[in-house]
Amino acid sequence: MIDRRIINGSKIDSELADDMTKAGIDRIRSCIQCGTCTGACPSGRRTAMRTRQLIRKALLGFREEVLSDPDLWVCTTCGTCTERCPRKIDVTEAILYLRNLACQEGYMRPEHRAVSVKLIETGHAVPIDDEKWSKMREDLGLSPLPPTVHSYPKAVKEIQHIIKKTGFDKLINYKEGKEDDKT
Amino acid sequence: MSTEEPKIGVFICHCGSNIAGVIDIPQLVEYTATLPNVVVAEDYRYMCSDPGQDLIRERAREKGLNRVVVAACSPTLHEPTFRRVLESMGLNPFFFDMSNIREHCSWVHTHEEEAALEKAKDLVRMAVARAAELEPLVQKEVDVKASVLVVGAGIAGIQAALDIADAGYKVYLVEKEPSIGGHMAQLDKTFPTLDCSSCILTPKMSLIGQHPNIELLTYSEVREVDGFVGNFKVKVERKPRFVIEDKCTACADCLEVCPVNVPDEFNTGLGWRKAIYIPFAQAVPNAYIIDTEHCLGMTPIACGKCKDSCEAEAIDYEMKPEILELDIGAIIVTTGFKLFNAMEQLEYGYGKYPDVMTNLEMERMLSAAGPTDGKIIRPSSMKKPKDIAYIQCVGSRNERYNNYCSRVCCMAALKQARQIREKYPDINVTIFYIDMRAFGKGYEEFYESTSREYGVTFVRGRVAEVRGSFDSDRIVIRAEDTLLGQPVEAEADIVVLSCGIQAAENQGDLARVLGIQLSADGFFLEAHPKLRPVETNTDGIFIAGAAQGPKDIPDSVAQAKGAAASALTMVTAGRVKVQPYAAVVNEELCAGCGICEASCPYGAVKVVDNVAQVTEAQCKGCGTCAAACPNEAIAPQHFTMDQIIAQLDALFQEAR
Repeated sequence: MIDRRIINGSKIDSELADDMTKAGIDRIRSCIQCGTCTGACPSGRRTAMRTRQLIRKALLGFREEVLSDPDLWVCTTCGTCTERCPRKIDVTEAILYLRNLACQEGYMRPEHRAVSVKLIETGHAVPIDDEKWSKMREDLGLSPLPPTVHSYPKAVKEIQHIIKKTGFDKLINYKEGKEDDKT
Repeated sequence: MSTEEPKIGVFICHCGSNIAGVIDIPQLVEYTATLPNVVVAEDYRYMCSDPGQDLIRERAREKGLNRVVVAACSPTLHEPTFRRVLESMGLNPFFFDMSNIREHCSWVHTHEEEAALEKAKDLVRMAVARAAELEPLVQKEVDVKASVLVVGAGIAGIQAALDIADAGYKVYLVEKEPSIGGHMAQLDKTFPTLDCSSCILTPKMSLIGQHPNIELLTYSEVREVDGFVGNFKVKVERKPRFVIEDKCTACADCLEVCPVNVPDEFNTGLGWRKAIYIPFAQAVPNAYIIDTEHCLGMTPIACGKCKDSCEAEAIDYEMKPEILELDIGAIIVTTGFKLFNAMEQLEYGYGKYPDVMTNLEMERMLSAAGPTDGKIIRPSSMKKPKDIAYIQCVGSRNERYNNYCSRVCCMAALKQARQIREKYPDINVTIFYIDMRAFGKGYEEFYESTSREYGVTFVRGRVAEVRGSFDSDRIVIRAEDTLLGQPVEAEADIVVLSCGIQAAENQGDLARVLGIQLSADGFFLEAHPKLRPVETNTDGIFIAGAAQGPKDIPDSVAQAKGAAASALTMVTAGRVKVQPYAAVVNEELCAGCGICEASCPYGAVKVVDNVAQVTEAQCKGCGTCAAACPNEAIAPQHFTMDQIIAQLDALFQEAR
């Protein structure tokens, strides 16, 4: 498919690159767009992730485009790109930075948000909320619930306290009592 | 001691906006006028310009100045200019000091204007204090020996040696390897004209062998360099080749009887040679050599077959290393480069997959005189390949290995690709590159015609990894076609790594022997990157070719000719000026303890009859002896204790 969009030069902005440089990804501006990161990426073999393009968009300051890109989330942070980058750019760190920024700016993936909601409500990102898990534990000779918040339901309040103090609930835009369990 | 009252003129340069853009010049002038002994304090846009120089002369006449301070750029740039101004007024040129308020102040404090002004005041105050203590000195001249040593006999060394020898001066050409020729001798054809490398190199090589003014010392290394500009004493070790050069007729009888096979270095290990061998057919000197590392033993009991077979009686097992002592006027260093070791870059599989080879190995394969007689074959199967892929920038433009561009690999890959397509139109050649750098004369045109006429494919993307194919005996390379934004997986039968150029082995050791410096990338450092590209910071020692930085043949030859001209300028003049900075000894204070002799890095101080003596031309005026002497009995001229103390006193004097 031919992309007919034209890049509007006035949209090019170095603020994002500046922020990344200040955040410790200090070599990012030396990128020569050689594509080693894309070529080396194991995730890119299975998915549409094109590491170089994410970096390119970040360097041009196409904030919305890069932060909303679902490909940002298929990196496994294996570090191969960082190891092979001829400019010694910490590419993996750059991806993590962009992910953090994406969350802060409301571009969190629904799946990640769902897991976060689970954490707030149950104290577990992957809670034992199905009888079959308890069964499996019993088959292994364990108690049906582990000695975590599952066994101490009062501790959920403590976790929620921590989450509120750290602002994690705001980060994921958590609405108490209004969350649909199925998201 | 000068008894005259110092009358100092201080001239402050704006250097356009270089200095005046940061430092408040009127305030600096006003401050300077208040300093002791200052009779004139003035500023001008460009002190180094003719009107600037005239201003100094005028004021000196009007006010009877006897000392001049210029606050401007680094003395390495304009100290000689202003010394000439003083000389033209009949003043001793050493009654001059330069205060560097540009490199040391305005350039490094661009965003701190107030602090920069204060620092400029400090720097000027120090220079004024030192100026009052300056002594008149007389610049001396020394004789220059009419001989030049050229170290390294690749194309750069060969060219430099020929130019000097043709001018009628004696040249000693020292080469570490058994033959001259260097890397150029290994090349098949040369870009962009596709001249056969041997055809243009070997005539020069044989001239070297025959030139009456050239003494060729192959299989030899420079061990010691003593002395100073114009008068170097050089010790060269001639390693024994165990074959008498003059007697050997290169008949090859010895080859037939030698039982040892060794991978052939000249053919990058792709062929074999014997333990007694000649590096290549056109080698100069055209004589064999015994490789003692692999020879079974040079006694009749162990082997000794070569000696028995030699009718010319050229083989001498008793040959010993020899040290030659040479008197040299100037030295040119042309020791060339080493190819990047592709094993270091693990993801390209060199050494793991036999069909991954270097550009130099491909070059030998392309050569009609090479191990395959010019045929291209896959090392793993000895069969003709269908697809060949080139990986550019191996070891170059890479922060992990060498961060510079090696400058020759793009053109070398284009040239080889073209040769391959010319010989075998059915072999596909793909070049994976980051940027195609075809910057020399005729290079872009070569790039254009290679892509247009020879059907070479280009993929803009640096290769991320090389691996064996899972379902064939081929090699898979992965990259991104960055222009399409899609990963590429390409199979190839041969992968050629365009290995870059790096500093030669032991370049640092040679730098120490010669007393010259290396730049951060390991190559020899030139005195100035633009204006003194063939000089080093040691007078009388010049550099050329890839030993100074990655370079192709045209550039190496051009630089070699430049170095030869620079050396000839000195040698033909026969005399050279040396700075009168040498240390002097106060014999009354000297106790003859010898600490100065032990501390001198240039071997310029010797204690004779309990008194230190300085060989003036050998002393660089570094001041190490002065710092070490417990009696303050020795100090360099122009940097005397009094002058330095005066500067320090001025520095720590409370700022006004």
